[in-house]
Amino acid sequence: MRIVHYVNQFFAGVGGEEAAGHPPEVREGAVGPGRALIAQLGPDFEIVATVLCGDDYAASAPGATEELLALVREAAPDLLVAGPAFTSGRYGLACARLAAACSRAGIPAVVAMHPDNPGLDEAAPAPVIESGKIGREMRASIERLAGAIKTLARGEELREQDGRVGRVPRHNRLADRAAAPRAVELLLARLSGDRERTEVPLPSFGTITPSAPIEDPAQARIALLTESALVPMGNPDRLESARATRWLRYSLEGMDELEQGVYQSVHGGFSTVAANADPHRLLPLDVARELEREGRIGTLHGEYLVTAGNGTQVATARAFGVEWAAELRQAGVQAAILTAT
Amino acid sequence: MVMSVSATELRGLRLLTHEVVGAVLGEETSYADGLLTVGEREVSAVLAHPALASVRVSCCSPGESTRIVKVLDAVEPRCKAGEGEVFPGLLGLALLAGRGDTHVLRGAAVLSAGFLPRAQEAVLQMSGAGAEFSPLSETHNVVIEFEPAPDAPWEEVAEALRLGVLRLAVHLAQAALDVPADGVEEIEALPGRGSTGLPRVVAVTNIQTQGAFKDVMVYGRSMAGSLPTWIDPCELADGAVVSAQYGHPALKNPTFVHQNNPVVAALRASEDVELAGVVLCPEPVSEGEKRLVSEHAARLCAALGADGAIVTKEGGGNADGDVALKLDALEDIGISAVGLFAEMAGRDGTAPGLVVAPTRANALISTGNYDELVRLEATDAALGGERLGIVDAAATDELEIPIAAIYGSLNPLGWNRVTCAAEL
Repeated sequence: MRIVHYVNQFFAGVGGEEAAGHPPEVREGAVGPGRALIAQLGPDFEIVATVLCGDDYAASAPGATEELLALVREAAPDLLVAGPAFTSGRYGLACARLAAACSRAGIPAVVAMHPDNPGLDEAAPAPVIESGKIGREMRASIERLAGAIKTLARGEELREQDGRVGRVPRHNRLADRAAAPRAVELLLARLSGDRERTEVPLPSFGTITPSAPIEDPAQARIALLTESALVPMGNPDRLESARATRWLRYSLEGMDELEQGVYQSVHGGFSTVAANADPHRLLPLDVARELEREGRIGTLHGEYLVTAGNGTQVATARAFGVEWAAELRQAGVQAAILTAT
Repeated sequence: MVMSVSATELRGLRLLTHEVVGAVLGEETSYADGLLTVGEREVSAVLAHPALASVRVSCCSPGESTRIVKVLDAVEPRCKAGEGEVFPGLLGLALLAGRGDTHVLRGAAVLSAGFLPRAQEAVLQMSGAGAEFSPLSETHNVVIEFEPAPDAPWEEVAEALRLGVLRLAVHLAQAALDVPADGVEEIEALPGRGSTGLPRVVAVTNIQTQGAFKDVMVYGRSMAGSLPTWIDPCELADGAVVSAQYGHPALKNPTFVHQNNPVVAALRASEDVELAGVVLCPEPVSEGEKRLVSEHAARLCAALGADGAIVTKEGGGNADGDVALKLDALEDIGISAVGLFAEMAGRDGTAPGLVVAPTRANALISTGNYDELVRLEATDAALGGERLGIVDAAATDELEIPIAAIYGSLNPLGWNRVTCAAEL
């Protein structure tokens, strides 16, 4: 079986954070964790090429996934293997997006990452195999991934017992009985002590631990972010009012305030009358400039990032978060104020 | 002999069932050998109302190449034998229902179809691909279409139609009054607390309360603003709860389903539980009220001595909150709870399915993914309208639409067999 392996700049040995902007590159044969993987897989498998890319580039450069997909295609593999990405957000997102793109393009793909990785829900229709949390758990993670690849090579689907995690596509079907008698049976099972049985696994949205406060706001670069769908009048870039699939950026350079009639909210989830009358209710540029003038914050970041937080799929929102974080980190921003509606 | 009140109370309700094997239009309404003949002129008289300019009646049966669009409500034909009235508070005085004998035309339904404000396109396929998704594709349907009177307010049109359809359901059932029943179902009075030694279970039935065209009538009145109340399932069987809710075709509970509450029926059919009745709850829109109603419902279940409860909803994602809060509130006070949910998992079925999920309760039944597309084959005829409201297509065209538009397909009260599961 011909495999193309995707890894980030760190696991490819290119460098750490300083190399996170490294553009897509392809190398012949196995690199880094690919060598351990091929040792586990044995002689029937070959890593024909390793595609690598820096985390920031992969998570936030426009068209990054398409570039990576083109490199995978050139190597004409039977399978794309991405990761293990552990809990690394940008890496996991890049792995998931590439695997999803490969799947849709007819190239079978599999990703390895920890279930807490924000990329988890982006991989579908490609399957995700559970890895450890951190790189120290590489060996066990590679062993499990190798097992899953062998299962795929036999033409079998990956199941929970293979370590499959994340959203598995759910499809409608006709049960042999109506929902009401099934509910009675489930209740009887619960009454006799089965506390786990269910037809709908509960969604896990994860928990985010807030960062520690920044040490000295007077030295910090602060960004304004919002999910309020505040855009220039007329919505020139066509931000969706609900179920947004993208986010936008607009300049704040040289502006002290948001003039009425120049900005509008296209959010479809609340009455925008009060917000349009005074856009600072959504994006507090006026107060932020005041704090900047008074020296209470260092500088205000030169643009704001915006999307519409209305009926957005969790996976999409999570991906926006990772992209925004990568973007802000590159721009040297230490803290951000995200206004929610 | 004069029966004392308490002796009457001890008796339950008797359903005298008549199996309908066909429905046709004719001169006069009659029922013989399983064939229901619907008298066209009588239908006009029964539905006559100043708010309705005209009505048209049609019959369509399973297997016919017909699609009904803009379905509004479905009612099972029923009438009382002797004294009393079904649909109390709407067709008669709001007197306590659920005792005595009730005639039922099994396998038949009266449907209303057409435009009403706030109604969402509801499609019912009577044969071929697409017919497998609704229980009402398996009934002989008497379909009422209507023209509103030119200046009639829509609220009056809806009420005239609702009452007319209920009267027609009674009128049709009355044709079987003198016909020997095919079956007798004794719906016994509820067992006393602890009398069976089995776990006591309550059916917690949430009903939508969102104003005109999105409301449900209990003894003829809305439950909006009310606290939960206990109701005897026999009252439901006699039409104490009537739908006036025309949104969410897949996620609504037609009057038919309140008359035949599937959760109650499944609990009655089980030999392992003691049914403790139904707790009816409104679905308020504000979170504070949802919380109050949910915690109050849980307390009501505790007062009924419940060991378990099955919680159902009506409507879209907003109503997920009502189920989730109740499940958690019940579990918090030690009552095992199961909830029925439709999933909204996106077309490819990979999005998180619940808008509001419980945090402590976790026993959930899936009535299917709302967003998944289904194919409906083209039909020869259509009732209810000439064009569809959700896609630009003739009512008879071949369609690919979300299952959410199929009337009754993901029924929140557990009427149907559609479910959703991972591919594994």
